[in-house]
Parts: sequence; C-alpha cells; structure tokens
Amino acid sequence: MLLAALAPSWRRRVAVAGHSMEPLLKEGDWLLVDPGAYGDRRPHGGDLVVAHDPRDSRRLIVKRVLGVAQDGRLALAGDHPAHAHEADRIGAVDVEDVVGRPWLRYWPPHRFRLLTDRRD
Amino acid sequence: MLSRVQRALAPRATAHAHCDIPCGVYDPQQARIEAESCYKIIQKYQESSDELFRTRCIHVKEERAELAKHHIDVMWHDYFKPEHLEKFADLHEVCWKAAKQASLVKRSLDIAEAQKLLDLIDKIDHMWRETGGPSSTRMQPMQPMQAAS
Repeated sequence: MLLAALAPSWRRRVAVAGHSMEPLLKEGDWLLVDPGAYGDRRPHGGDLVVAHDPRDSRRLIVKRVLGVAQDGRLALAGDHPAHAHEADRIGAVDVEDVVGRPWLRYWPPHRFRLLTDRRD
Repeated sequence: MLSRVQRALAPRATAHAHCDIPCGVYDPQQARIEAESCYKIIQKYQESSDELFRTRCIHVKEERAELAKHHIDVMWHDYFKPEHLEKFADLHEVCWKAAKQASLVKRSLDIAEAQKLLDLIDKIDHMWRETGGPSSTRMQPMQPMQAAS
C-alpha cells in the first residue's frame, strides 16, 4: 500500500541541476515529486514547486513560490540570496504548468530528508 | 553493485535550478574539465585490476559525464545567440553532437569516445572564442595597485 502511494511521486522523480535553490537543494540532488500535492489547494507563498519553464515548456524548473498574483499566476524564485529578484526574469507561471511539489530529497544518501518550508 | 542500484534509483528528468539572473558567465572550459576527467578515469580503469577501484571509476565517470553534458547544454541554450549562426552554420549540430557524445561517454569505457567528446568541446570553445566569448563572458583579472615610491 505504501508502494502504491509512492508510485506517483516515483514516476515524477527529478534530478536537480543548478545552484539557485541552495542551500536546500544542490546540484545532483534527486527528489521525489508529488503530482497531486496541489490538486485540492493552489500553491502559495513559500511552497516548493516543480513546474514547466514558461520560457521553454520542454524544461522543468524547481523553485519556491514568491507570491501569487491576482490572476492566480505564480511568481517563482530561487532560495539563494543572489536569486531573490529573479521572478521577473522567469516570468509568471500558470498553476496548470506546475508539475507537483518536491517532498523528499532521497539522493545522495547523506542528504536524505523530507522537504518542508525550511530553506536549509 | 552501487552503480546498478544508483541506475535503478536515478530520475529520468532534470529540474533546473539554474542561475537565472543570468550572471552571464560562460566558458566551455567547465565542460572540458569534466570531459578530461572522464578521459583520465577511463585510462585509470583500463590500467587497474582492482574491482572496487574500477567500480568507483564507473560511478565517478558517470557523474562527470553528466556534468559535461550540463555545461554543454548551458553553452548551447544560454550563451550562443541567433547571430552566431551567421558565422557558424553548424553551431546547433556541433552542440547537439557534443551533448549526445557526453551521454555516450557516460555509459562507455572506450577511450576513443572520450577523445571524441574532447574534440567536440574544443569546437564549441573555438566558436565561443570567435564570437567574442572570452571578453564578453569572463571577468578580467584585476591589476595590482601601483604604489609610488
């Protein structure tokens, strides 16, 4: 039963590329992503999301929700202090383009932990 | 054994947490360093009969080849611009072949394939230099202050 519950997240697992989400997520981290996390509720400020890049829908990005615009679209940014103002660069993301919520950092083994709203 | 487990656990997709400023720093040397590491690791693998060492070689080579591919992708998608195609009509083909070659090196222990990857990265480096890469994308070292005496 546990495996059945994990299956959707397992199918959506991703590898992190890049540094904008440090210190929480580092290049090479592997994450389980829950595709149903934002089914009943919309993402809000502080949530972690994996979404299609509005600049290139073939790419996935992993960021934190900075805020929600009145039209419901999301402003995303990285946690790293150098990336605090990149929401304008990325552009607003439609909720429909959110793939899910990364909830477990499962590789490398010494970085295994549940992901919460904490940034470290 | 660890490598088989890792392959089974590995994700199929990448989620980018790139520097999206963008910071504007691009240099094919990042890819070349990782590709050189792959080449040297394959050499050391061939020279060793220690199974544990050889297992570690495979594991680390896969990591470095993936990084080489990442840096090639960054050059391709973020540095090169449409106007560069006027000078290098085969720009997309070279970058595509280099990325494919990095994937091949990831799963191969053929040193000739590792050399092919280095050669393709050198082509990218040539295109980067000929399009003004070094002056436009790298900081110049600061000159020491002069002290009059």
